[in-house]
Amino acid sequence: MRIETVTLADFRNYRKQTVELASGLNFFIGANGEGKTNFLESIYALALSKSYKAEDREMVRFESPFARARASVMSSAGRTDLQLILAEDGKKALANGQEVKRLSDYVGILNVVLFAPEDMNLVKGSPVDRRYFLDVVLGQIDKRYLDDLSAYKHALKQRNELLKQAQPGKDIDRDLLDVLTEQLAAAGEAVIAKRSAFIAALDRKAAKAYQFLSVKQEDLGLTYQPSVAENLLPALKARYRSDLLSGTTNHGPHRDDLGFMLNGMPAASFASQGEQRMIVLAVDLALVEYIEETKRERPLFLLDDVLSELDREKQNRLLRRLMETGIQAIVTATELTDIAADIIGSARIFKVAQGTIKEEHHGQ
Amino acid sequence: MRYPQSLEALITEFMKYPGVGRKTAERFALYTIHRLDGESAQAFADAIRHAKSSIHMCPTCGHLTDQERCEVCADPLRDGSRILVVESAKDVFSIEKAGDYHGLYHVLNGALSPINGIGPEELNLKSLWPRVQEERVKEIIIATGATQEGEATAMYIRRILKDTDLLVTRIAYGVPVGANLEFADDATLAKAIQNRRSF
Ligand SMILES: Nc1ncnc2c1ncn2[C@@H]1O[C@H](COP(=O)(O)OP(=O)(O)OP(=O)(O)O)[C@@H](O)[C@H]1O
Ligand SMILES: [Mg+2]
Repeated sequence: MRIETVTLADFRNYRKQTVELASGLNFFIGANGEGKTNFLESIYALALSKSYKAEDREMVRFESPFARARASVMSSAGRTDLQLILAEDGKKALANGQEVKRLSDYVGILNVVLFAPEDMNLVKGSPVDRRYFLDVVLGQIDKRYLDDLSAYKHALKQRNELLKQAQPGKDIDRDLLDVLTEQLAAAGEAVIAKRSAFIAALDRKAAKAYQFLSVKQEDLGLTYQPSVAENLLPALKARYRSDLLSGTTNHGPHRDDLGFMLNGMPAASFASQGEQRMIVLAVDLALVEYIEETKRERPLFLLDDVLSELDREKQNRLLRRLMETGIQAIVTATELTDIAADIIGSARIFKVAQGTIKEEHHGQ
Repeated sequence: MRYPQSLEALITEFMKYPGVGRKTAERFALYTIHRLDGESAQAFADAIRHAKSSIHMCPTCGHLTDQERCEVCADPLRDGSRILVVESAKDVFSIEKAGDYHGLYHVLNGALSPINGIGPEELNLKSLWPRVQEERVKEIIIATGATQEGEATAMYIRRILKDTDLLVTRIAYGVPVGANLEFADDATLAKAIQNRRSF
């Protein structure tokens, strides 16, 4: 799929802006603080109905009552006009002029894969960051995953509330605890199965992508680290005592993790800064492939500041690969000095300055 | 500027209703002042007072009634071998309107939800247990909602009844009658397929 045009109104530092994107590489070039990331964020928000780094109202231009982002998306389903309206008192997501009320019905119309500098947290950060990554990505690919996940979270809230009521000397209703445990396990098993299959598929693809980027024979591995190894229901039932004592559910998908190993060593502790970035990038490349296979639809690739973090050779390898696959990519950079002429020649180039985007014609 | 005290009091009362926030309550209150004449306002107040004083829960099933027992429990022609368990009296009215069910009811007045402070003690379950021990009762049909809370309530009742020889059934969920599949949402369709029957 690809976006034909993006139109912004009072979104971040854009007052009014229309951009016609090319179907392959699109470079957005500008100095610091001019609006490159803001533009990328608008596309991400159109896809997921929210930002990856900010509250809704932060995306509304200072002093404006509301922001509007709009994109015309071409996919195998035809053309869809997506609109996101952010206002003081809430937001609205529309597809072809019709408001879409259920998040799971909206997310997935436009598929994006984002590389952002803060994604370093994927390797270095806490399990919360990694679960968030899994949930956002799987939610985009599989509608039912969002439903399973919200069923799980709801049952978890109920069960934790019941456990909290258990105090020394005050017993709780065991039948109710059993029932809520069964509900939690049923939803949890669905979440676990999907995460596990997804990570296994991503593992193989990311390992290949890493080798491609690093050129050397290096071995990247992704492993699912579920909070319990057994089936969830017996696992939860075997742990009633500790749950009752602590007043909360100590095991289940809400405590899962995702591990990265580089050449057999945990990447969080041993991989260099640059290697960690390459891991994230390899995961993103794997994700592009995975989405393409499962949804039969190639996602958009949004790359923020990726070039400054790679050496010259790797910059060109990455871009050339994107160019050859023909994926629509939005790449931000402060400059293109290290990029080969044939890559630049194939791309559309936009200059970003003070919240205004202008296409630059080659040879200018 | 604040509303005059008596108007504010009226707004506060309206806000006690489910689904009514401050803004709607203000609209209702102002409507009461501007649009209702003295007689209608009196009729409204009387209706509330009268309903409140004359309507109570049927001691047998928990349904609403202004008689000693509810219309269904008092009817000797109802099929006493079945009890259909619902979350609210509203459900009884809906099912009665459909007119196809001739058994008895049991109204729980809610569904199990620790986060809302509703445990088994808060539901009208105590009066259900003696009823299921009656000789004539053969089947308990659980018709609580298809929400997490409704499902938990159904599972809870099934657990408590598991050592009886009662037939415990759960109403089916599926595609609305007369509707095309394309109009059913994903979750409903999935449930309908899970709960398919041989045919
Ligand atoms: N809601 C908003 N309204 C108006 N301006 C905003 C808003 N949010 C952010 N900005 C402005 O946008 C600018 C930052 O834009 P952005 O993050 O896109 O920069 P960038 O081009 O990506 O820079 P860098 O190269 O440093 O990453 C800041 O100057 C900030 O003040
Ligand atoms: Mg930036």
